[in-house]
Amino acid sequence: MKLLHTLPIFLSATLLVAQGPAGGRGGPGAAAAGPAATIDFSGMWTGNMQEDSMERGAGPELVDYAGFPINEAGRLWALSYDPSRLTSRFHQCDGYVAPYSVRSIGNTRVWEERDPKLQRLIAIHWYSQTFEGHRVFWMDGRPHPPAYAPHTWMGFSTGTFVGNTLRVETSHLKQGWLRRNGLPESDQATLVEFFTRHGDHITYTSVINDPVFLTEPSIKTTDFFRQPTDPGGWLFPCDDTEQVTGRAPDQVPNYLFGKHPFLEEHSSKYKLPLLGALGGAEGMYGEFEAKLKTATAAEARAKTQPSVGPSLTSRAVDPDPKNGEIHVLQVRGNVYMLVGDAGNVVVQTGDEGAFVVDTGGGKLTDKILAAINQLSSKPIRMIANTSFLPAYTSGNEKLKNAGSDPSVVGTFLAMAAPGAGSTASILSHENVVTRMNGSLGKPATPPGSWPIDTYIGDRLRKFHNGDSVELFHTPNAITDGDSFVHFRRADVIAAGDVFTTTQYPFIDVANGGSVQGEINALNAILARTVYEHSGEGGTLVVPGRGYLSDEHEVVEYRDMVAIIRDRVKAMIAGGASLAQVKAARVTADYDTRYGANTGAWTTDMFVEAVYNSLLKK
Amino acid sequence: MKLTFLSLIGALAVLLAAMPLPAHHSFAATYMEDAQPTEIKGTLKSFRIQNPHSYIQIEDEKLTDKEGNPVRWVVEWGAAAQLATQNVSATTLKAGDKVVVTGAPGRNPEDFRLLMRTITRPADGWKWPVGNQTFR
Repeated sequence: MKLLHTLPIFLSATLLVAQGPAGGRGGPGAAAAGPAATIDFSGMWTGNMQEDSMERGAGPELVDYAGFPINEAGRLWALSYDPSRLTSRFHQCDGYVAPYSVRSIGNTRVWEERDPKLQRLIAIHWYSQTFEGHRVFWMDGRPHPPAYAPHTWMGFSTGTFVGNTLRVETSHLKQGWLRRNGLPESDQATLVEFFTRHGDHITYTSVINDPVFLTEPSIKTTDFFRQPTDPGGWLFPCDDTEQVTGRAPDQVPNYLFGKHPFLEEHSSKYKLPLLGALGGAEGMYGEFEAKLKTATAAEARAKTQPSVGPSLTSRAVDPDPKNGEIHVLQVRGNVYMLVGDAGNVVVQTGDEGAFVVDTGGGKLTDKILAAINQLSSKPIRMIANTSFLPAYTSGNEKLKNAGSDPSVVGTFLAMAAPGAGSTASILSHENVVTRMNGSLGKPATPPGSWPIDTYIGDRLRKFHNGDSVELFHTPNAITDGDSFVHFRRADVIAAGDVFTTTQYPFIDVANGGSVQGEINALNAILARTVYEHSGEGGTLVVPGRGYLSDEHEVVEYRDMVAIIRDRVKAMIAGGASLAQVKAARVTADYDTRYGANTGAWTTDMFVEAVYNSLLKK
Repeated sequence: MKLTFLSLIGALAVLLAAMPLPAHHSFAATYMEDAQPTEIKGTLKSFRIQNPHSYIQIEDEKLTDKEGNPVRWVVEWGAAAQLATQNVSATTLKAGDKVVVTGAPGRNPEDFRLLMRTITRPADGWKWPVGNQTFR
């Protein structure tokens, strides 16, 4: 028993320096296959109910963040969280992220996967009853996926044995909970875990590194006991339903900064100082006790509002390797995502020739073309532009001239556009052309880059390579000419600049963009997505920039834009000037994920776009 | 000592086998569980028995919204498997039933949500919970 008590302390001390997968992505942290000796964890396990009882039971109370080294962004994100948000159809079945799954309720089944001929350990499967969280610890030395690969609730894990301990590194997690009272863990978090077996007992230690919401690693230990009999109940189907009727689709429940209606409920109930309940690294150490003796209510209250000062900037890993190469990721079936030249490019292949969505920023067009030729033995037939913006159209002319579109020969398009058919056809909303051809008084792009097959309504349809391909217009979002493209059979959506995982939306007010249009556009995408299980998988969404996503990333992004809109709108209603809105740091809880103070799209520019587009209305 | 420890493990195993499925959300964060329960009377519009929790919708017999339409309450209940062990199935309740419900109010009054405490159907005297039935 003595050993059981001292081991977690020893581990905690040694793990303080534990880091996530080296470089965050790309595999340097991947473990090589360990020494021959391995520990068998196979069996059924149950977490110790006495530890993390709130998480294993009915859930923690609001504004109880003690013990977590959160930063200002994490605290403000949590304080903005109205639990009614989870009544949204798009959140009801959200799973738990791996670190939370381990600490939450339910039983776990573990089994090994071995090469049947050589009996080498390929993987250890850790399956949690709750949300059917199935983790795979790859033990065969494979690398972690690239940064532009999808994120999942369980993430991507590699393992190795260190003495009698299994060490697991996990990356590619979705945004989820540190606690399910709104305390967030970002999609940039990485996890290092240690599983040590002592007979029928596992000592488990987790180290969460989250550059977005934590100031130092969050280290937790817990214990598992082996169960001799099968408890059953391993499945966890979830259906979403109408939990709140009559709510407008653009309404995302949230509390404005400083307006949390239950701020002191938890601390008052247990007679704790509010400052202690608000979390943060300082509250984890003994010196904090002395501070609490002199802390004032005002000091605690100050932590519920953004601090005064400049905006913070993103700590997220850039999903684009930016190494002068085009990187190809198979999205599903015959649909691929090409990363590396500003906006992502999507390619659908088949007997009728390639269907390409967007053409990149123009710096690596030859390499994009070479990649497409590797994927498709047939020429490019159609190109869809989701926007007129250069990041998505700069390769238009070169890709168009490399292809052909026999389907337009003899049609009105061939009569209207001489040469049509001898090149690929470019499709877009009509407003893309008016922005590109100079008719609005701006410098025109070369005529060869202009779309010829355009639409002015809400939808353009093609049946290509055995798939129904639809372009949907999303009015006044990033610009006035945005479309997203849905490959219905493959169930892949190319979102264009309306959705990215890398920055605040580039709302181009001068070219017709608006914050309300952006929210509507994200909702239009969500109206076409279907998750596979627990709010993930199913319809895949290729962002204009960033990593391959699904419904969950889109809805988190939608929530963010709607919440920031609400804050700016409230300040405008109170008579605030643009300067006052900027100074208020209305994006403070999202800046460590999306913020920028330099470059083409800064936080200030985004806030200004939101402010101006709301004033225009 | 050893026997006691093993007994504890066994007891935990039994306890967890019967443990309710957790909601995605936290009950404590979502409902005001310490508040006075809210009582509603109305007509049952739908009953979805499902995981992680079941829901019933009730049209309030008196309360109306800003447009004058009857308010529709959404009441969260137990998981399908839990309710099945408590003699509640998909056919126990049907649309049109007049029911009386008490529950812990949701934190956002505009959502008209409750966490089920009791439900009765005066027409035939059916009620839940009976004895120590619960889904918490």
